[in-house]
Amino acid sequence: MADSGATQPKPSSSVKLVLLGEAAVGKSSLVMRFVNNDFQENKEPTIGAAFLTQKCTLPSRTIKFEIWDTAGQERFASLAPMYYRNAQAALVVYDITKSSSLTKAQHWVAELQRQASPGIVIALVGNKADLANPEGESGEGGGEVEEDVDGVVAGNEEEGEEGSGDARKVPTKTAKAYADEEGLLFFETSAKTGMNVADVFTAIANAIPETSLKGPRGVGGQSSLREGQGDARVNLGRATAEGPKEGCAC
Amino acid sequence: MFNFSNLVQKAQQLIIEPTLSVAGPTSDRRPSKATLFRHQFRLPDSQSPLQEITAELTLSPHHSQRSASGEVGSPEKERTQGNHYVGKLHLSEQFLCFSTHGSSFISTASLSSSSSFTGQTHGAGPAGNGFTLPLCAIRRVERLHSQSYMFALAITTWNGSADGKRKNVAPSGQKLTIQLAGSRIQCERFCDGLKKGLRAGVKEIENLRSVVSECYSEYLLAEDEEKSEGGEQGKTAREHPDTGLGLVFKYPGNARKLRDATKIRLWREYLRENGRNATLIRQPTFHKLIRVGLPNRLRGEIWELTSGSFFLRLQNPKLYTETLARFSGRESLAIDEIEKDLNRSLPEYPGFQSEEGIGRLRRVLTAYSWTNEEVGYCQAMNIVVAALLIYMSESQAFFLLSVLCDRLLPGYYSTTMYGTLLDQKVFESLVEKTMPILWDHLQKHDVQLSVVSLPWFLSLYINSMPLIFAFRVLDVFFLEGPKVLFQIGLAILRINGEELLDATDDGTFISVLKSYFARLDESAHPKSENPKLRAVTRFQELMVVAFKEFAGITQNTISEQRAKHKDAVLANIENFTKRTSIRNLGPESKRLSPNDLGFLYDRFYAILYERQQRAEIMQQEADRKVKAAKAKAMEVMTGMGGNAVEKGRVGLGPSPTQMDYDGFREFLAGIAKWAVTDSPTSPPEASGEKAGHSYFGNSMRSRPPMSPWGTGPEPADHEFMRRLFRRWDTDMTNSLNLQNVVTGFAQVKGTKDIMSNISYFFELYDDDGDGRVDREGILRISEALLFLSRRGMGEYSPSHSTVDLQQGGSPERHSNRDEQFLSSISAFIRRCFEYADPDHPSNQHQPLSDTVENPDDNFAIGTDDEDDLIDLKSEPTTPVPQKPSSPKDHIKHPLSPIPSNTDPLSSTSTPTSPDPNLPARTEKAKAANKALDPNKPLYITLPTFRMVILADEILEQFFELGFSSSFRLADAPLPSSASSSSNLTTFANAGNKSATTGLGIGGSVGGANAGIVPPGKGLRGMLDNIVSDGMRVAAEVRRRMEEAQREMDREARHGREEEDEEDEGASGAKDADLLEGAETEDVEVERGSAPDLLGVGEGSGMGAGVEARRNRSASDASRKVVEFER
Repeated sequence: MADSGATQPKPSSSVKLVLLGEAAVGKSSLVMRFVNNDFQENKEPTIGAAFLTQKCTLPSRTIKFEIWDTAGQERFASLAPMYYRNAQAALVVYDITKSSSLTKAQHWVAELQRQASPGIVIALVGNKADLANPEGESGEGGGEVEEDVDGVVAGNEEEGEEGSGDARKVPTKTAKAYADEEGLLFFETSAKTGMNVADVFTAIANAIPETSLKGPRGVGGQSSLREGQGDARVNLGRATAEGPKEGCAC
Repeated sequence: MFNFSNLVQKAQQLIIEPTLSVAGPTSDRRPSKATLFRHQFRLPDSQSPLQEITAELTLSPHHSQRSASGEVGSPEKERTQGNHYVGKLHLSEQFLCFSTHGSSFISTASLSSSSSFTGQTHGAGPAGNGFTLPLCAIRRVERLHSQSYMFALAITTWNGSADGKRKNVAPSGQKLTIQLAGSRIQCERFCDGLKKGLRAGVKEIENLRSVVSECYSEYLLAEDEEKSEGGEQGKTAREHPDTGLGLVFKYPGNARKLRDATKIRLWREYLRENGRNATLIRQPTFHKLIRVGLPNRLRGEIWELTSGSFFLRLQNPKLYTETLARFSGRESLAIDEIEKDLNRSLPEYPGFQSEEGIGRLRRVLTAYSWTNEEVGYCQAMNIVVAALLIYMSESQAFFLLSVLCDRLLPGYYSTTMYGTLLDQKVFESLVEKTMPILWDHLQKHDVQLSVVSLPWFLSLYINSMPLIFAFRVLDVFFLEGPKVLFQIGLAILRINGEELLDATDDGTFISVLKSYFARLDESAHPKSENPKLRAVTRFQELMVVAFKEFAGITQNTISEQRAKHKDAVLANIENFTKRTSIRNLGPESKRLSPNDLGFLYDRFYAILYERQQRAEIMQQEADRKVKAAKAKAMEVMTGMGGNAVEKGRVGLGPSPTQMDYDGFREFLAGIAKWAVTDSPTSPPEASGEKAGHSYFGNSMRSRPPMSPWGTGPEPADHEFMRRLFRRWDTDMTNSLNLQNVVTGFAQVKGTKDIMSNISYFFELYDDDGDGRVDREGILRISEALLFLSRRGMGEYSPSHSTVDLQQGGSPERHSNRDEQFLSSISAFIRRCFEYADPDHPSNQHQPLSDTVENPDDNFAIGTDDEDDLIDLKSEPTTPVPQKPSSPKDHIKHPLSPIPSNTDPLSSTSTPTSPDPNLPARTEKAKAANKALDPNKPLYITLPTFRMVILADEILEQFFELGFSSSFRLADAPLPSSASSSSNLTTFANAGNKSATTGLGIGGSVGGANAGIVPPGKGLRGMLDNIVSDGMRVAAEVRRRMEEAQREMDREARHGREEEDEEDEGASGAKDADLLEGAETEDVEVERGSAPDLLGVGEGSGMGAGVEARRNRSASDASRKVVEFER
């Protein structure tokens, strides 16, 4: 509250962002990391959807993310349109240790491209990067998984296993290629370590076209308490952990 | 006193009741009386109301403690003391039930539907005072003689003595007196029923013993009794029953603060006086005790009793352990999903950080997923079950979960979660009704109410409120039913109304409620002067608002609202499902247009749905016939207001996704006219009321008895369809899913490449995949080609229809084309045999020149379609001059049963005039003959097949366009309405009056085709087709003119074959004596193996039909051989 309202009279606008992806890929954890800079090992599954807000300050403006975190289980999918309605941005999350989750993510991307508001900014996010062996990155497995991407579920789950204790099943290359093809932002993150989490949101904030921004809804007086606290806390964490990331001072 | 208040209540109900039922749904939406009865008393689905009678229940003070052996005092004396309740006594197969809120249905209501709701709970649960006694819990029934009552029964129960261990102890059986108020006959009948039930109930006593021994109440009271008996038996005899994880890991909340000890004491007193577990009697105190919150150790048992899961357990006490044992070691998707969530179910409760707790949770969820595979596992179930497990044993939680899924939360956890979505809609509409200002505010600011309310309902407030409060909501919920969830939800909004009106976005809205939940234990009126008021917590306030202010929200309200929104919600889900599944069909599907995909999707599921419906209805009809006398309501458990016939609807959850061969036939019959049978077994139904997408119309029910094919045309059964089916069934499941069908169509329709179409066809007949099709295969291909073309050939068949035939007149050009096609097929067979391998290389040369000829013609024609259009008017009649058919022909071909069947073209092309090419031909034929010898196996390869196809212009066209366009998808409507056909006919006739009149073909072919429902078309599409057809026909006819002479000469010999083929396509009987010559036997042998190959085995007329057809073609083949030898 302190840093957004009085001291910085930057134009502020709210952006509706929705998280989609298979169950247990870490959607809620990503949000929790972003909003509270916190991580919980065994988080209860999201029932229906959760709603959180967080501000992100860019050099030119402040963006208030209204984050809709959805349930991941397949049968909850029919509830999703309720949440992505009018969304300006979407995080489609998969688990880099589970190739089926990328397939599911691709389904979501297709759904959003056809059904969500036109011009929606979509970011593809491979979570649980902390489980990957940094060196083993996208090495041998590349070819096979590429095929896997088109619809086959978890075909090579076993194969990657024996290689160097690396739990990664989806090579960065594969997902990146797909993201490029579809024109998506792409990140690999770890909600556990905080790696890249803020960057995703900053990138989205930057990618939202100026024209599609609406002003903050209503007077916004009441929405202060929780956010304000969140802001302050995250700010501290960020400053030490990541250094001055481009713009996002959330 | 109680009597009086009951009367007042009753009067109130009578006053309130009419207003409730004013806007009632249509009567067929009403739950049946049997459903209401079961819901009211929480009985298992096997129970139905057999008897009911007005009665008065008399409970003397401490009636349960009085010695059963003691002499019963006179009824008059008893009447003066104790509590009296007037209500209805009901008898079902295994239960005797009594409630002062009597029935939730008037007694005259029929079994199949209740005409009116009456009781306070509207069948939602056992409100009111009374009991639900399993008959096996009744020890003795005595008839008391008295003057004032004709019938008075004294019922002694097994209360407190069902435990086998304590047989030596004098039973402290509880005794109730019931006076029946009714005519003597009624009373006699009731008592007879009761007697029968009691006798049957005797064998359940063992179940009762084992179930009851797990009840905490037994332990609680036994402790008592033992104490009073001097403790001689010793407390060691009893183990503390499993009352959930709380026993080990502590129950949530501070027991002292919750006043748990006091509550236990009160319950102990209540149970001592009013019976325990199976024999519990509900008096007003019972309801009060529940409203103030259940004590920890009794909570599970009371939940079980009020929800009715106790009775399920009583029926099958070992189901849980048996299920676990039976499926042990098996894997499923549900289990994978369960595993993901085990560590994240109430993680803050210590029990679920331990292996013990997680193990229990795993077992209960897994066992349930096996017993209800349709539901399997849904997130939120983990939270609910975890909560239950704090207070109950695994087995208890297992049964309670099934009551939740089946009855209390219908459709909540199904794969489409339609119940959840529906209740959100219902909740929104109730908010709109009861709090219009708040509702407008939410609308104005685009706040999504369901974001907050959905988890409330889905996880029963368990992860919204602090646990101790959520459990108190559950206490009432299990007793009073689903309406409680709505009442609490509305009360939450009402209490926070002021603050919510200030909230202008979802975030604020959510945080207001979050902070409210966090302070539920605080005082609702902290600033009040009145200490009593100050002591009221926010939660107490919530309960009061929920049950007082929203007392008007009854189960009936909910049912009505559900009925109102059901269709919209289901349609929404179905749209979403359709979209998603079409999108996920994979890259192959991209070859079809989105419209086509949508069409295929609708058609596919419509067929599956309709087939299921028909099966169900026919089943019901059969059932009805079987037990017409004993009307047992056929209901599917879809909860209140559930509509049995809608089961299987996509939106309701798992519906069939696999189409068997019969379904596939029906599917094809709707989109390809060749797939409609020539000989329908049932008269075609003229009703074309099935409109495009409304395949879930409720009209299903009012239909007259149906044919196995519903209102659609009866599909044909041809080997080709089987082959197609097998080809598409890539997963070898002997059934097709949507993916298979779409991929199949993508291959057939998605390409305009003639070469790939030819290969496709070839592969269909290349059984072993070795790139060769043998003689049998060649004959089958030709059969298939005839089969496919017998109704005209797709796109470029003039006027698109066989309709005209039915009208008794056929356009000349139409038949003309058909004849040409026949001739082409005959040529096809000949050429196939000629070029089949192994062959003499010397023969290869000449035929090649032959084949080159025709393609040349084709290409020339293809280019000048446009010009030909101009000549359209004159062209169609041109074939007429060719008509002169020599009577000789008919004589020469006795095989054609109907002489008039011969058509102009084949006649003209079979003159007996000497053929100039004859010598060459015969030579060639002789060469080919060797190949035809059945003793010498031969085969054609794909290149040969391709060459043969390309050698014939008509076949070429067929493979280029005809075949794929014979399937009509989105751009061409379903063949449904007969009315549009008349348009078509009119047009066709208008252009061809002169041509049609002189021909007899129409009649004969029409005879064979009778009953075909023609394709309905929009006017626009019709015109388009006619124009394009006209163009093609014009071109075709002109070319034919030029070719006629040459053909006449050249094809002289084959004309006969043509006729044969034609007969095969259009007519039925053939003489068996055609099967002459040595070859016959060989063919017969070959045929012997055919049924296996085809997997015919239908046992129906269809199978026989195929057989007959094959018979014919076999004979044809042999005859041809004979001919060639001549």
